[in-house]
Amino acid sequence: MTHLLAVSQYGASHAVTITLAMSALLFTIGLVGFLVRRNMILMFLCTEIMFQAAALAFIAFGRMRMDTGGQIFVIFILTIAAAEAALALGLVILLFRRKETLSSEAWSELHE
Amino acid sequence: MPLLPFYIASAVAAVGLLYVLRPNKPSLRRGGAVVALAGAGLFISEALRLAGPPSAGVPIALLIALVVIGLYAAVRVITHPRPVFAALYFIVTVVASAVIFLLLQAEFMAFALIIVYAGAILITYMFVLMLADQGPRDSIGHIDDDGDYDRVPREPMAAVLVGFILLGTLAAVVERIPSTAVLAESSLEQKVSRQQADALVMMPKHLLNIVKRSDATAVSVAVAPNASIQGSIVQTQVTQADGTMKNIAVDAAGKIDNTQMVGLDLVARYPASLELAGIILLMAMFGAVVLARRQIEFGEDEVRDAAGLRRIVLDVPEHERAIPGGRQ
Repeated sequence: MTHLLAVSQYGASHAVTITLAMSALLFTIGLVGFLVRRNMILMFLCTEIMFQAAALAFIAFGRMRMDTGGQIFVIFILTIAAAEAALALGLVILLFRRKETLSSEAWSELHE
Repeated sequence: MPLLPFYIASAVAAVGLLYVLRPNKPSLRRGGAVVALAGAGLFISEALRLAGPPSAGVPIALLIALVVIGLYAAVRVITHPRPVFAALYFIVTVVASAVIFLLLQAEFMAFALIIVYAGAILITYMFVLMLADQGPRDSIGHIDDDGDYDRVPREPMAAVLVGFILLGTLAAVVERIPSTAVLAESSLEQKVSRQQADALVMMPKHLLNIVKRSDATAVSVAVAPNASIQGSIVQTQVTQADGTMKNIAVDAAGKIDNTQMVGLDLVARYPASLELAGIILLMAMFGAVVLARRQIEFGEDEVRDAAGLRRIVLDVPEHERAIPGGRQ
């Protein structure tokens, strides 16, 4: 009754492999996005995609070893993501007030 | 060369992504999307091939559908010309990974992910996107390339190359997984039942509830002294309502669900990390407050008001004052 959807097999190597492959692809997409995007807010959104990929990998490895450590580390990832979002968005707002634009290239020269 | 198929898949995905990033060419972008998807599919199917024939109970089709949805939405996040839509697509990625968490029996984290990510963090992003809304800024007279910075990617070629290298490196890890699934089924099963028994010993109230199901007269229960836990069986000493003591063996298998396990391990195995996480959140709050604080320049009048002094009233005609307004 407990796991209607869940992968029943213990090692679950297929589900784990698929999830890890997705994690690798997602992390790559996040990195490419961070490099490609010019909007500062969306650059930070791309770091969130990378966090997401890391969380997927942790859950998959935790499932593979049947260990809760993976899930608990995801809780900490959520914490760090929340802290990062608060600080990064605060910084973005600060920068936006100075130059009235979200383009990261407006800050390519460090002096004003 | 077992990694060659992964490198080919990564290259195909990279070329596709390069074309997806092309602005203003819808036909090329659509073709690029198909090629990128094919590359991702190759990557995953190669990983699956290495994992051997699938056994019953693994909903592979559902998983693959979720992976495709999640990856497609992630690509839209990095290519969509409108920031708000990009943020909404990110929610799709989050929900797809939450369902994958469910499939991997991480129920608590699945819902925590939806609540914290899709609920809290993404709303913060939305607020900031709205706050820093661009709109028709040209009317004020800014002369930079404002309108284009969401549409035109920066250095797509270099970025995709970096992505290709990263994916090739990660492929080496993915490739090794099937052979490093170190623990055999039977030993994993043993490990799980042992974990559950250990956890049950640390949860006396839960243990009492379980005992009460079979013995309604039990009023208290303790783990039997010098009794060893065998497999998932815990030897307990039950005190009944009339004061008699009795030994009962409790089978812990299946009595503790994933969420209880996570909660127990969080405070029992990682208490210091939990405290550190709290400190990090506190520091982030301070940081955000300091960053968001707006500098307000007080004029001389306000400063004198705050100090309880009378304002200086100059008896000089307006046009003869040295500092217009008397502030700054």
